[in-house]
Amino acid sequence: MQKEEIVNRLTPVFRKVFSDNSLVVTDELSALDVENWDSLSHMLLISEVETEFAIKFKLKDLNKMANVGDMIEIIRSKFQ
Amino acid sequence: MRSNSTFHSDVLTPFVAATEKFASHNAFCINGVFHSYRQLAETISAIRAEVKKMGAADNNVGLVANDDLETYAAIFALWFEGKSYVPVNPDTPAERNRNVLQQAGATVVIDSSDQPLYTEFNVVRSKELKAVAINLEPLPFDDEERAYIFFTSGTTGVPKGVPITRANLAGFIKAFFDLGITMDETDKCLQMFELTFDLSVMSYLAPLLKGACVYTIPKNKIKFNYIADLLEEHNLTVALMVPSIIHYLRPYLDEIHCESMRFSLFCGEALPLDVTSEWANSIPNAKIMNVYGPTEDTIFCTHYTYNRTGENKASNGLLCIGKAMNGTDTIIINENKEILPANEKGELCLGGVQLTPGYWKNEEKNKEAFFHIMYNGEMTRFYKTGDLCQADDAGDIMYLGRIDSQVKVQGFRVELSEIEFYAKEYLDKTNAVAIAFTNQLHNTEIGMVIESAEFDTKPMIEYMKSKLPSYMIPTQLRFINTFPLNTNGKIDRKVLKEKF
Repeated sequence: MQKEEIVNRLTPVFRKVFSDNSLVVTDELSALDVENWDSLSHMLLISEVETEFAIKFKLKDLNKMANVGDMIEIIRSKFQ
Repeated sequence: MRSNSTFHSDVLTPFVAATEKFASHNAFCINGVFHSYRQLAETISAIRAEVKKMGAADNNVGLVANDDLETYAAIFALWFEGKSYVPVNPDTPAERNRNVLQQAGATVVIDSSDQPLYTEFNVVRSKELKAVAINLEPLPFDDEERAYIFFTSGTTGVPKGVPITRANLAGFIKAFFDLGITMDETDKCLQMFELTFDLSVMSYLAPLLKGACVYTIPKNKIKFNYIADLLEEHNLTVALMVPSIIHYLRPYLDEIHCESMRFSLFCGEALPLDVTSEWANSIPNAKIMNVYGPTEDTIFCTHYTYNRTGENKASNGLLCIGKAMNGTDTIIINENKEILPANEKGELCLGGVQLTPGYWKNEEKNKEAFFHIMYNGEMTRFYKTGDLCQADDAGDIMYLGRIDSQVKVQGFRVELSEIEFYAKEYLDKTNAVAIAFTNQLHNTEIGMVIESAEFDTKPMIEYMKSKLPSYMIPTQLRFINTFPLNTNGKIDRKVLKEKF
């Protein structure tokens, strides 16, 4: 799966979870940048992303995710 | 059983011994960086030298709760000088923190931030102090002096202060180790709590009395992820957690295998039996304990050990909270303040060595929450917890729910009426009801129903964020034209709850 497609599909998921219609999904985006990004919204985000791409993350995947770029890489790896 | 422990014998003396005997051992792992007991002792001594310059009137000292060695060292520096700490979380709205510091009468604030946050106070900048010779000589102070004051959610928009004395804290530490929880210089212990939350006190203090290492969680990290990482990378041996952590980890528990864990304690929220059983498989060598208690009775005061091989006592799927720890008395009373026998439902009340002398400068609340009753032939002071409970014939206590509208979010006490207070303040004449509901992850979330046609709630949420800590902000909003009423003519919260 191309990165662009992943970003396009992630954008509405992020906007929904963080209730922010202007949120721009970039590689550098992380919990530091989004005010409501805490344990609760993180789990909701993970579960929404899993549904969107019909994948399941491993705990090790989650532990490695420092920013959205990491997330995109992990999603890509699931389709290889 | 009454303990003869003192703050000197059970807290300061073992702490000083640990800093001397294990000077080169790690006391803390903070954001991946280790700090030795010697560094801790040096940092305490430097802050203590500043604290010595304060007047005797400054007994309650503000402490900006950062995640660094200086902040932890400041707590001990204050204790060595007979003072108490009043923690404020820098992420909480400044107005609320100022209210807390003013209520406590603090004139000095110890702050390790790069830029001091509360400049109208006398600020001790703990990161910029001169090194001094180590001085951990305890001075004799009365154990009725305070060790700390923690502020919790109040019903009227103003946080209320719970002062805990040196005697209360010494009583807790004695009772804690009486539970058979052993620690030594090889232990690695989790400290996952913000310092404004009293579960942090056990998490940093107990290990430091034994020469063990305390692992903290950096701010802005996703807690349950970081904890899972610590379990795997550092082989933690002792952990006190809120149950919401294992709810978050539940989908991944088959990936966690932590043989090093010896004691896994849960507190702050009701602990479901089913998730506990799954967690038990991830930590095969640990003793799992459910502990319970409000801030008013110093951290926690009852305990129940999970049985790996047999039956467990539970009610509605929630693990029992067990029996009183040493030095604590528990009774269950009816509305007439009469002590109920076993197997009858009533309000759990707590007394004994860990019980706070009363809310800080709040006589009205004290009259509501504390009372005296004949118990074992003595007039004894008790605190009404607001928790609906029932004890069985063996004396084990089941938690059944709350009597009032207080709820727990990630272990934090939240008064729904305080959330409503600020929503209504913003909405002016529009009514709003805060509802606690259980989300699909089995964690408590705050919803709000507004009696109005739909409107953009962003400004209201922004306003609430300027007044309340983040865990008190509603995450889901609903609108309704008219609130449903129950047969008593009150707003029917049960019906509103179905909207989430």
